[in-house]
Amino acid sequence: MISAPDVVAFTKEDEYEEEPYNEPALPEEYSVPLFPFASQGANPWSKLSGAKFSRDFILISEFSEQVGPQPLLTIPNDTKVFGTFDLNYFSLRIMSVDYQASFVGHPPGSAYPKLNFVEDSKVVLGDSKEGAFAYVHHLTLYDLEARGFVRPFCMAYISADQHKIMQQFQELSAEFSKASECLKTGNRKSFAGELEKKLKDLDYTRTVLHTETEIQKKANDKGFYSSQAIEKANELASVEKSIIEHQDLLKQIRSYPHRKLKGSDLSSGEMEHTQDQPDQAATTSNPDECADTDLYTCRPAYTPKLIKAKSAKCFDKKLKTLEELCDTEYFTQTLAQLRHIEHTFRGDLCYLLTSQIDKALLKQQHITNFLFEDFVEVDERVVEKQASTPPPSSQDRPPSRSLGECPIPQVLISVGSYKSSVESVLIKMEQELGEEEYREVEGTGLSSFDPQENLDYLDMDMKGSVSSGESIEVLGTEKPTCVLATSDSQASLTVSLSPQVVRSKAVSHRTVSEDSIEVLSTCPSEALIPEDFKASYPSAINEEESYADDSEGAIHFQVGVSLPELGEAEEGSLENATSQTDSCCIGKESDSLQGPLSTPVPTLSDKNGVVSTPPQRYRQTDQGFHVDFTVENASPSSRDNSSEGCPAYELDPSHLLASRDVSKTSLDNYSDTTSYVSSVASSSWDRTPSCAHPAGPSSERHKKRAGQNALKFIRQYPFAHPAIYSLLSGRTLVVLGEDEAIVRKLVTALSIFIPNYSRYAKPVKHWVSSPLHIMDFQKWKLIGLQRLASPASAGTLHALSRYSRYASVLDLDNKTLRCPLYRGTLVPRLADHRTQIKRGSTYYLHVQSMLAQLCSKAFLYTFCHHLHLPAHDKDTQELLASRQASFLKLNLGLVNEDVKVVQYLAELLKLHYMQESPGTSHPMLRFDYVPSFLYKI
Amino acid sequence: MSTLCPPPSPAVAKTEIALSGESPLLAATFAYWDNILGPRVRHIWAPKTDQVLLSDGEITFLANHTLNGEILRNAESGAIDVKFFVLSEKGVIIVSLIFDGNWNGDRSTYGLSIILPQTELSFYLPLHRLCVDRLTHIIRKGRIWMHKERQEHVQKIVLEGTERMEDQGQSIIPMLTGEVIPVMELLSSMKSHSVPEEIDIADTILNDDDIGDSCHEGFLLNAISSHLQTCGCSVVVGSSAEKVNKIVRTLCLFLTPPERKCSRLCEPESTFKYESGLFVQGLLKDSTGSFVLPFRQVMYAPYPTTHIDVDVNTVKQMPPCHEHIYNQRRYMRSELSAFWRATSEEDMAQDTIIYTDESFTPDLNVFQDVLHRDTLVKAFLDQIFHLKPGLSLRSTFLAQFLLVLHRKALTLIKYIEDDTQKGKKLFKSLRNLKIDLDLTAEGDLNIIMALAEKIKPGLHSFIFGRPFYTSVQERDVLMTF
Repeated sequence: MISAPDVVAFTKEDEYEEEPYNEPALPEEYSVPLFPFASQGANPWSKLSGAKFSRDFILISEFSEQVGPQPLLTIPNDTKVFGTFDLNYFSLRIMSVDYQASFVGHPPGSAYPKLNFVEDSKVVLGDSKEGAFAYVHHLTLYDLEARGFVRPFCMAYISADQHKIMQQFQELSAEFSKASECLKTGNRKSFAGELEKKLKDLDYTRTVLHTETEIQKKANDKGFYSSQAIEKANELASVEKSIIEHQDLLKQIRSYPHRKLKGSDLSSGEMEHTQDQPDQAATTSNPDECADTDLYTCRPAYTPKLIKAKSAKCFDKKLKTLEELCDTEYFTQTLAQLRHIEHTFRGDLCYLLTSQIDKALLKQQHITNFLFEDFVEVDERVVEKQASTPPPSSQDRPPSRSLGECPIPQVLISVGSYKSSVESVLIKMEQELGEEEYREVEGTGLSSFDPQENLDYLDMDMKGSVSSGESIEVLGTEKPTCVLATSDSQASLTVSLSPQVVRSKAVSHRTVSEDSIEVLSTCPSEALIPEDFKASYPSAINEEESYADDSEGAIHFQVGVSLPELGEAEEGSLENATSQTDSCCIGKESDSLQGPLSTPVPTLSDKNGVVSTPPQRYRQTDQGFHVDFTVENASPSSRDNSSEGCPAYELDPSHLLASRDVSKTSLDNYSDTTSYVSSVASSSWDRTPSCAHPAGPSSERHKKRAGQNALKFIRQYPFAHPAIYSLLSGRTLVVLGEDEAIVRKLVTALSIFIPNYSRYAKPVKHWVSSPLHIMDFQKWKLIGLQRLASPASAGTLHALSRYSRYASVLDLDNKTLRCPLYRGTLVPRLADHRTQIKRGSTYYLHVQSMLAQLCSKAFLYTFCHHLHLPAHDKDTQELLASRQASFLKLNLGLVNEDVKVVQYLAELLKLHYMQESPGTSHPMLRFDYVPSFLYKI
Repeated sequence: MSTLCPPPSPAVAKTEIALSGESPLLAATFAYWDNILGPRVRHIWAPKTDQVLLSDGEITFLANHTLNGEILRNAESGAIDVKFFVLSEKGVIIVSLIFDGNWNGDRSTYGLSIILPQTELSFYLPLHRLCVDRLTHIIRKGRIWMHKERQEHVQKIVLEGTERMEDQGQSIIPMLTGEVIPVMELLSSMKSHSVPEEIDIADTILNDDDIGDSCHEGFLLNAISSHLQTCGCSVVVGSSAEKVNKIVRTLCLFLTPPERKCSRLCEPESTFKYESGLFVQGLLKDSTGSFVLPFRQVMYAPYPTTHIDVDVNTVKQMPPCHEHIYNQRRYMRSELSAFWRATSEEDMAQDTIIYTDESFTPDLNVFQDVLHRDTLVKAFLDQIFHLKPGLSLRSTFLAQFLLVLHRKALTLIKYIEDDTQKGKKLFKSLRNLKIDLDLTAEGDLNIIMALAEKIKPGLHSFIFGRPFYTSVQERDVLMTF
């Protein structure tokens, strides 16, 4: 029951309009504004109370013993930033709240001055009139020349937004603490150096005084001391005392409690210094022993000089600068840290908060966040680690999860023969993996194999389809990286691999093939398609009915391909082998090379790949065989390139051709099968998909540009929807054009719609000037292709036309698009040409949120158990398939082609989940027999 | 804590407060700037405990220093500034509200502070806004009180020809006590019953095998949808603590970790009352099955509230942010002006003040049915129960849902920012926004707007303009553009 006894008597209808609001006689200063945001210009973006500075900045101030509080420097060091803001006044204000009792004095019971290692204090305060609010970090540095040996400083982050300071308090505090520790570490080092110099001076002075006193003593024959001698003796005593005091100070500064440092997250350089300190302190406790230590080291070049025992404390002396106090190296590091802080926290709080929330939420989605997320932002540390470590050699490379703990069923299933539904070419597959070899594989791969898990998988496998291994040979051909995980919906090329099939595919042979390309795209005749295969990804290999008359634009499939065409270097071994032997020897290789290809791959079980375990990554304990193989075959240059994380070919388009030359060489030097393997190697290393997020592209500017160009594209091209659909459904889109800049721009724009294979690879090739190779379709889902005016381009266009049935082609010069029809509702919401979104960055955000929604649907579809596992023994594959279709339609609200998008994303999720090996990608080649249409503006 | 402190100011009055649970608060202080003696402490409030963590001298030392530098105070008229100290040397954190006021015939600077151990920093920070809001309002009232005291005091001097120092402004202390004690009690209750930062989904309704297992499907949908529409601010009431807490935890799944730490579970035998400013709070009905929700405090909450009764499965919600803020401000102004006009202490008693203000008639129909249906939460609930419970699948799915909401909220902010050139122009195209951002369902828009309001305060007021009380009509008008 809701009640409000205190105001029940006033219950009545809304009378606001009838009853004008009377302003009470209360003075405004005692009241509250009726419109809390009116004072900010009545909008949420206007700056609070009109601060005099243009944006956030950092101010370092000092409480000088000579002139009082004074500003020292600002970050950024640009007068435009702080404008007319009174730094002197604000320094006075922030320094007047220092709580640190960091005096050095003679505490009771102590004979010598004691250094007080005070903790930093942090204060948030503001000046509401100036509209300036600050996080102030107070610290104390030591200076031998300063009063009490201390110099109080503070670093302040100044912003017009008070909420930002408080909401980011802990983050600011942590970051400023790092900067402070850096300054203080440098200062202790510098202070110890000063003390040592001073001690040397004092020691020298003592010697001189002592000598003089002795001389005077000897000269004194009157039996009493002259006033001069007494003065000298006093001076000597004073020096002696000073030496003891300074030795004590040195001892104190060296015995700084290092535990404080260990907890702090200093940069590696700092840590090296600081962690050395305890040892140094121990070994150099005696100042006379000038050990060759790093910190607190004695300066050998220093020449002691005669000084007065008590240094003059006067106001005309020049105080050390902050840089002098802290050692230049540390000072520079501190400035870098402060710049980092300024860069991190500047800008609108809402973006800062959202990015923090985003990061936290994305961390919980490690299964899906590779698809569309900027991985650099998700986990920068991992990337940094990747970058800092040398390129993974074959042995060092993070092992594929396939071998480690992934269970591999013990059952081997022979692969049968298939007939192409298109050409009716019989593709015979043979399994050549001997039992002995298999044992070897098993022994290597299953070292940490959990029998129970194995059984579970086996169980799942048997529940699913035992015949799912059929029709996979083609996949073995097109998936040279070999570690393709089970992926039920990869249709003709990646159909529902059960582990044993994957194992066997590597060494099986395709016996008949007249056109390797066509074979690749061959699908088994309807009669021969295994049931589970059909159900797994019905759309992938369907020769669908045309939506319209083929003659209106659909690409007609050419069954016969002339031999000269087949002889192209890019297709090399594959096709040669086919033509020479009249049988497909793609999978045939020498014994020594069988290992890599026979890499067992874990599967989800049946074609639907149901995951019955919670989403956790497997840890791998062994490397995939393909790794060794890669080392043997990959060209050195390509491996070098890969060490950079971003292969050189990506920077130099001609490298694409060069890498093909490598393949060609291997073709000449080795057997067909070897050359095939070589191309496998090059595909896995040389031509790894471009770095998903090199430093530049992940920047806000990049996003803004990409968004802007994408927005232009959807407004300019009425056929943007089918183009985007192609990208989202895994069909390669080739952007063809003469002008490299225009092509690159559009490719960059469209890349925001591309689902990634892995966290580190984005399947985008911005610019290719040589004819496309079948492998290009395997790795790139978006390709910028050069159209040359010269006759040499004929090959390029010819190659493109050969593959155009399996790829969408966007011709920028002729403003045409050839791709399948799209009739869904998902893409129009993602890319509505009537959208009123004005800025590229806003559109980018919109796309990101829509893609996140899509991702969520794919996740649900992938991990929904009842969709993929039969609830009862009686459940047939058809029943499951209809259940899936119904789910996609009714629960996820997907219509027509939208279904394929979610199915494709689900495939990627499964593939990634089962196979992920950081730093590598596992592209797959899949072709759809879907009629294409020609769109024109 | 430091042991080296200067001697305390003489004879500082102290109120010891007996709390039922552990108190994270060490003390609260009221200090002022004396033009001759500098900062002086007037009053100390401290929990009654066996173990004294801070002596009065230390408290006084710290409190005096909250006014350090305030001689340079440069504030807007009537401003109540917040200072926040983390003093590692002393091992304490101090929150000070600094304000100017007229007392003892002079205009001076004052500071009301609370002191906590530094170890409670992460506990306190999520509650900072709540504490500051509540203390700020009591200061507003106290300031008027001080002003009136002064006037009365001057009149008394004129009439009686005498001046008694001890009378000056003493009466503000009971007023401050009236809010300091509840704040202490609140912090104490939060120490024992706040919702943890990480919630195990197994403790929530989202772990049920199927939707409707624990509670009616429509009720759950309404509850979560309304909870999101009211910026994640909800009161859950019921007779069973277990049932109430399950809903509280479920609703907290949709909050950020700091917001969860600003939410409270109910305890079977506890006497928790409604606390303004918490995000989600569970409260038990009394033995008669009734429950009293104080109107004033609900109005003073920073966001509108959803009221959920788990006994009868009802969900009611307050109007959207801009209306809530408008009503809240009107209520506050009325309360303060009534206070200003009050002639006796009885008139100035808390919660009765609005009786005297004839110009203000609060609308008590603040809680209404959830009118706007959404598709976002509905789809989420329809889908999540398809995933197998007991694994981390549902947590991941929830995280995806929240990510979508946050991204949509940011996109919405950016959209409005672009459209209005950062507020320089009026926003006219709500219809376009809804279409462009796929927020055509009214409930969806409300949810995203509420989320956006939290990260961009003032967004509602900016979009829906000044006629706050006609927001629905206003939006209809905007739709026609």
